[in-house]
Amino acid sequence: MGAHLSEEIRELLASQDTTAVLATVDAQGSPHVVAGVPLRATGEGALLYLEYFESSLTNKNLTRSIWFDGKVAIALSNSQGQSFQITGKPIKNHITGPLFLEYYGQTNEKESLNLAAVWEIEPLAIRNEGVRFRKEQEERTHPFYTHLDRLTAA
Amino acid sequence: MSHTVKHTRKPELSLDEVVAKYPHFPRLIALKIDVQRRGVHYTEKALAAVDYSIHQMRSPYLFGSRDGQIKDLPESLLLRDGTTILTDPTPVEQDPYLVDLVDGKFALVDQGRFVEYTDLWPKPLYYDKKTSSGIPMSHIASARPQRLNVFQSSYCHFWAEDEGCKFCDIVTHTKQQKSELGVPSRLNPGDISETIREALKEPGRFTNICLTSGSVLKGKELFDQEVDFYIETLQAIGENFTTKKFPSQLISSSFNEKQLARLYEQTGLMSYTSDLEVLNEGVFNWVCPGKASKLGYQEWKNRLVRAVDIFGRGNVGTGLVSGSELAQPHGFTSEHDALKATLEEAEYLAERGVTTVFIVWVPRPGSYFHDQQNASLEYYVQLAQGLHDLRVKYNLGVDFDDYRRCGNHPDSDLSRLL
Ligand code: SF4
Repeated sequence: MGAHLSEEIRELLASQDTTAVLATVDAQGSPHVVAGVPLRATGEGALLYLEYFESSLTNKNLTRSIWFDGKVAIALSNSQGQSFQITGKPIKNHITGPLFLEYYGQTNEKESLNLAAVWEIEPLAIRNEGVRFRKEQEERTHPFYTHLDRLTAA
Repeated sequence: MSHTVKHTRKPELSLDEVVAKYPHFPRLIALKIDVQRRGVHYTEKALAAVDYSIHQMRSPYLFGSRDGQIKDLPESLLLRDGTTILTDPTPVEQDPYLVDLVDGKFALVDQGRFVEYTDLWPKPLYYDKKTSSGIPMSHIASARPQRLNVFQSSYCHFWAEDEGCKFCDIVTHTKQQKSELGVPSRLNPGDISETIREALKEPGRFTNICLTSGSVLKGKELFDQEVDFYIETLQAIGENFTTKKFPSQLISSSFNEKQLARLYEQTGLMSYTSDLEVLNEGVFNWVCPGKASKLGYQEWKNRLVRAVDIFGRGNVGTGLVSGSELAQPHGFTSEHDALKATLEEAEYLAERGVTTVFIVWVPRPGSYFHDQQNASLEYYVQLAQGLHDLRVKYNLGVDFDDYRRCGNHPDSDLSRLL
């Protein structure tokens, strides 16, 4: 796997308080973004995206990505200000087999949605986009990026 | 029976060369085509890793395979994008892909080079069960990764008059299957209904039911008896659903409007396919003499168009056994001409709401064309792209016969992007 899913990210993925956003790219190169998507982490460090709509634009874009080596982006954030962006690439589409059937069983128990596919996404790079982290980072690495009034006595 | 045919292919572009030449065509679909063209051979190492409790082994089928043998081998393969490959076990001297074990995983290997990891088809739970009449359920309905196949009768009446399609080995294979496995050549609707009921107990396992069989010429009107058999079978299957209609495909002879209306109104059938096999009248007359003499190319085609009024646009299709249009001595002599003629006819049909799909022809020992060759990879890639482009142009769906509900058409694999 390209990038390691830290314990913090695994906890975010598992938490009810987390909003997950998945961005894919369509045939014309336009981004397509969907919020509130179901994502899980595997023991091997991949992400699983549960697709409930076979005809969705996301599903098509993921297919195009796996065919032509395209990338996707995932944002995870919560109300405490934690926020991460994960860049990844789809590496497997489960439309049958044990993993698919496992999630099909779970979703059918909870909701009446029809699971279409389980997409396995390899994380390639992870960026911390949390406000506190980014503020401290920018002040340290780009001291010019500020306004002068912020440096005066109040 | 085991005939092996040694083929020497003309020089043609390799998989890598075709992928480089057609960068907008998915490599995984080009690979699927190439694996279908050339077949597979399972290495000893791969066979030793097969687990009979989770992998689906070959079950009875309507047609035979390139090695002309019935062997206990894995049914087939799945690629990482969810693409199904229906493959033929092929004698190693015919240059097939190898299914080997690489880093403990099943993989396609060519000339000693790793090509792709692959999964074997997962075995459905009902494969371990028998009907109350004592028949293994895998002999009643065969599974694909997401589809159930029911071959209610594996005899084709065109063969009785020595007019079978020249690429087809249905009767040769049926006899072999009956003597070696005891597979019944006619299925009982009760056994079918019971098997479907059992298969549906595995949640998420199937999305479509496909019925097909050989042509039955008998009846007051041509094919009336075939229609009766299908209605009886579809009604038996329908007992298992709470809805009147259920995702289903019929691949049958070419029925008239009265027959189609009966099928549509009296059963849960949602789509209709009748195969023209080759899209050129002259070649059709040679390749499919029975279809030509009993109905004729034009009427076969017209009936497809009329079926759109009953089943709706995008729910009517015709299948091609692609590559057989290049068989010699009476087929096309150039791939360029064959492609042009095929796409012109497919466009005529698409304009009228009929979708065209193809399978990669595998010359089989039990068929008249046993010593012929299929087409080049480049030809199939162009054909798949051409048929897909027609669906885009005419906004024609093919949900009933796509990568998941069928899995045997490289062109409709592309419709995942439609
Ligand atoms: S109609 Fe042709 S292809 Fe179909 S079963 Fe009969 S001979 Fe074979």
